[in-house]
Amino acid sequence: MQAVLIPVLTLLKSWVRPDAFQTVLSERGGRWYNACLRITRDADLAADAVQEALLKAWDRRHEFRGDAALDSWIHRIALNAAIDLTRRRKTRAEDELDEDGHEAAPASAPESDYALQALTEDLSAAMQRLSSMERQVFLLKHIEGWRLDEIAETTHTTVAGVKHALFRAVKKLRVDLHVWRGES
Amino acid sequence: MISDEDLLLYYYRELEADERARISAALAEQPELAQRLHKLVARLDTVAATPEVPVPASVQQRWQSALDGAVRGDSRAAPSRRTFTNPRWLAMAAGLAVVALAVTFQVMQPRTSGLAQIEPPGSEAPAAVEGAAYENGLKFHLASTERQIAALGEATPEERARLIETIIAQNRLYALAAERAGEPQLARVLRAFTPILDDLAHGRGETTAANVAQLSFELRVMQARLGAGAATTNTL
Repeated sequence: MQAVLIPVLTLLKSWVRPDAFQTVLSERGGRWYNACLRITRDADLAADAVQEALLKAWDRRHEFRGDAALDSWIHRIALNAAIDLTRRRKTRAEDELDEDGHEAAPASAPESDYALQALTEDLSAAMQRLSSMERQVFLLKHIEGWRLDEIAETTHTTVAGVKHALFRAVKKLRVDLHVWRGES
Repeated sequence: MISDEDLLLYYYRELEADERARISAALAEQPELAQRLHKLVARLDTVAATPEVPVPASVQQRWQSALDGAVRGDSRAAPSRRTFTNPRWLAMAAGLAVVALAVTFQVMQPRTSGLAQIEPPGSEAPAAVEGAAYENGLKFHLASTERQIAALGEATPEERARLIETIIAQNRLYALAAERAGEPQLARVLRAFTPILDDLAHGRGETTAANVAQLSFELRVMQARLGAGAATTNTL
């Protein structure tokens, strides 16, 4: 009988009102934006990712399980959107590679410049030397605490691939930080 | 020999239990190994941490507009669902649904001494319950109810009948109030709970599954209507 009743409870718990979205957006929008900004390193993409997450969450609000925070749910959707948008931009940019193999620069906007300047100032040089994949995997694991299999699913790779990217990222950071293997 | 990769996976809790136990023991025995892991994680924390940048005002406005449009669009897409626009009725109807569920759980489960401690939430003054506070209270109650499932014992037929009678009486009051407020559909939904509860009160167990399925359906209908109503009463 519990198997019948639990879905009813879940249904009720999934009841998300518009004002709940309003509240969580005003309180946590900045956190989502910054998380996406770390992934995309592009203010426009980060803003797009949050907006996409909001709309997607609203459309799927009946799927929301009340046992998780609405904030966490949208945060995760936003990160997925950020990774997806970055992947799509990268694909477009690869199509526009010049003869020297340099990646086409993304379109610049005042907001992009502002956020990127702040980001560039604050991110360490080591972090910036990571590839897009390495940075995403490292951030999702080290900052966001995702499981390896979750990262693999989101980044469309295998768990082994995620591990390799993670180890590469840390090794690159090791070179700059001189802490790997106990160095100081 | 513990590799760097294993240390990192240990920190991230991505190792199998036996490997995790092996490294855990090594860390306890070798202070230099623990120090090495500590330094590495501290540096990774430092390099990964970046100060938060403020969200540009124009971006915030864009998000608000997008969400506002989605809510309005949702309401426009389903105008027939605009049935309950008064937040007071939102609270009442949802409160009743929880009451029905709480009773259902109690009569389905083995009895314990905790049965008498559960008070129907519908006894609260609905008009005093608002927005987020109500929603939080509802979720808390639902979570509590879930936890109580495993602990509840089997109610005696007398206890069952007494409790459900109380709920049915409350349902009638809510249904009457809904009719007076010009909400006949809400009144109908509230009355739909009565036969379900009545069956449960009289121990007609063979109809229980069908009753719960019916209850689930009614809740879905109510949720859809209440969701649309809430969407039209909130400005994002």
